[in-house]
Amino acid sequence: MPKNPALIFLAAFLVNNILLIRYIGLCPFFGVSTSLNTAFGMSAAVLFVMLLAAWVTWFVFHLVLLPLNLVFLRTAAFILVIATLVQFVEMFLKKSYRALYSAMGIYLPLITTNCAILAVTFLNIDYRYNLLQATIFALGTGLGFALVIILFSALRERLDYAPITRSLRGYPIAFIAASLVSLAFLGFVGLFGLSL
Amino acid sequence: MESKFYMVVSLVAICLISAFALAQIYAVTKIKIEQQKVAAVQGALTTVLPSAVRFEEKVSGRLWFGYNENGARVGIAFQVNPRGYGGPIGILVGIDTTNKITGLRIASPAEGLKETPGLGLKVREPWFTNQFINKKKDEIKLKRDGGTIDAITAATISSRAVVNGTREGLELYEKYLITDTINFSGEKTNE
Amino acid sequence: MNERHSRWRYLTNGIILENPTLILMIGLCPTLATSITVRDGLGMAAAASFVIIGSNVVASMLRRFIPNSVRIPIFIIIISTFVTIIDYTMQAYQPALYRVLGVFVPLIVVNCIVLGRVEAFAYKHSVLDSFLDGLGKSLGFTLVLFVMGTIREIFGAGTFFGKAVTPAWFRQYPMLLMIFPPGAFILIGILKALVNKFMKKESL
Repeated sequence: MPKNPALIFLAAFLVNNILLIRYIGLCPFFGVSTSLNTAFGMSAAVLFVMLLAAWVTWFVFHLVLLPLNLVFLRTAAFILVIATLVQFVEMFLKKSYRALYSAMGIYLPLITTNCAILAVTFLNIDYRYNLLQATIFALGTGLGFALVIILFSALRERLDYAPITRSLRGYPIAFIAASLVSLAFLGFVGLFGLSL
Repeated sequence: MESKFYMVVSLVAICLISAFALAQIYAVTKIKIEQQKVAAVQGALTTVLPSAVRFEEKVSGRLWFGYNENGARVGIAFQVNPRGYGGPIGILVGIDTTNKITGLRIASPAEGLKETPGLGLKVREPWFTNQFINKKKDEIKLKRDGGTIDAITAATISSRAVVNGTREGLELYEKYLITDTINFSGEKTNE
Repeated sequence: MNERHSRWRYLTNGIILENPTLILMIGLCPTLATSITVRDGLGMAAAASFVIIGSNVVASMLRRFIPNSVRIPIFIIIISTFVTIIDYTMQAYQPALYRVLGVFVPLIVVNCIVLGRVEAFAYKHSVLDSFLDGLGKSLGFTLVLFVMGTIREIFGAGTFFGKAVTPAWFRQYPMLLMIFPPGAFILIGILKALVNKFMKKESL
């Protein structure tokens, strides 16, 4: 795994794109990529929570679990921390930033079970990233998620009007379209020596 | 039943039970996980230097000395990680006291090898790695570079990485066959 | 008679009619990521099945003691306990498989199949029924992973369970696409299209 911040970002953003190459976070991907508006709202919410979660879980792991020798509670601790965090963010936005809340509020509860968020926090630990690297990794992953989900929603809006065989309509054609976009993303492999 | 007190009690109780169960599981599996790691390293070392029965790690994850039943040194094993086509290729090499290669083991995809399946991944096939056995430093070159090793068709980058990485490793570690003092100042790994 | 009939339905529903992956479209990530070979796919299925069945049974056993308002956090704790147990057990006894599955083992905790079944079924049904329901959903998940793993391994590597089943020339130059992400997406697209065609029901 790269250690240089710029390479961490590029790897997370394009080469190891979380949706198309790592296959993480697919449920919201196929679920909400049906229109551009929902794709924007979901991306903003994911990016925001991903950054916060990366910070909070990094501190939880390095300042609580590791010193107390409780690494085996990692899975339980991280999911509970993220669930609580999402609740707080939702309450805070509802009270203080109504505009932001109306834009991405309805996606927040869905994010608790979004595996992309949890995966980033686990990978930050597995790759032994420091706080800066973890932040950049979360940022790259969140933007990579946003890029693909927004590109893909534009594609799916057009697919709705295409004459497609009955049994291919909906999910099947979305999967096949995702396959082609994923093939394009495989073209990034080798960029600056970054591998899958 | 739905009082606040009961809510808190049930949450705390379930947390305690869960933490206790996990602590037990962790205690049991931790020993086994450590053993597995040691056994995996020992197994790999034995395949590359079959004449040794006991290994001593001299530089963590890089260099091992191998001893036979009588405690005599029969050779060394070293690990190099040259950069292949998709990422670093982990290579474990064993050499005996006549400076000849006794075995070469390339890490599997599960251990982090990133070469292309069907092309670069063929560096793991025995016909390729067996070419190195019983050869000395100067012979370890691709045939097209004036050596004795056949490259894999359509995977020259991966083949050359293995060959050059092995030769550079020999240059770096060969001297430890005759000396016991480790004066190790790091290695250029290209990772 | 009637009760036995409904029990049988709890078990069989998950396999075809309510197949978690191909009908309900949940748990897609592990299905695509770990079906590169049959062995990896079945390993993932075994880990997920352990968590699904275990959480269903425990949640059902405790259902009279779990206060309604905090049930979700309690479910999450139960599920993450089972996930951590299988995580460490695999690390200890199947280290090679664990290295392949990697982060997907701890990620079972957010697999929608698990929390979905605990919340929608186990919290309201008896221990036996919950066990059967968990077993059925696990079998459905396993079936899809097995089918995908078989197709991807045969086309992508020319082998089945690691044994050569195709001519040497095919294994020399297999359909590498099937190992890579695009192959996984296109295969599940085709499977879903077949399901749509033969079950004569629009799922969207």
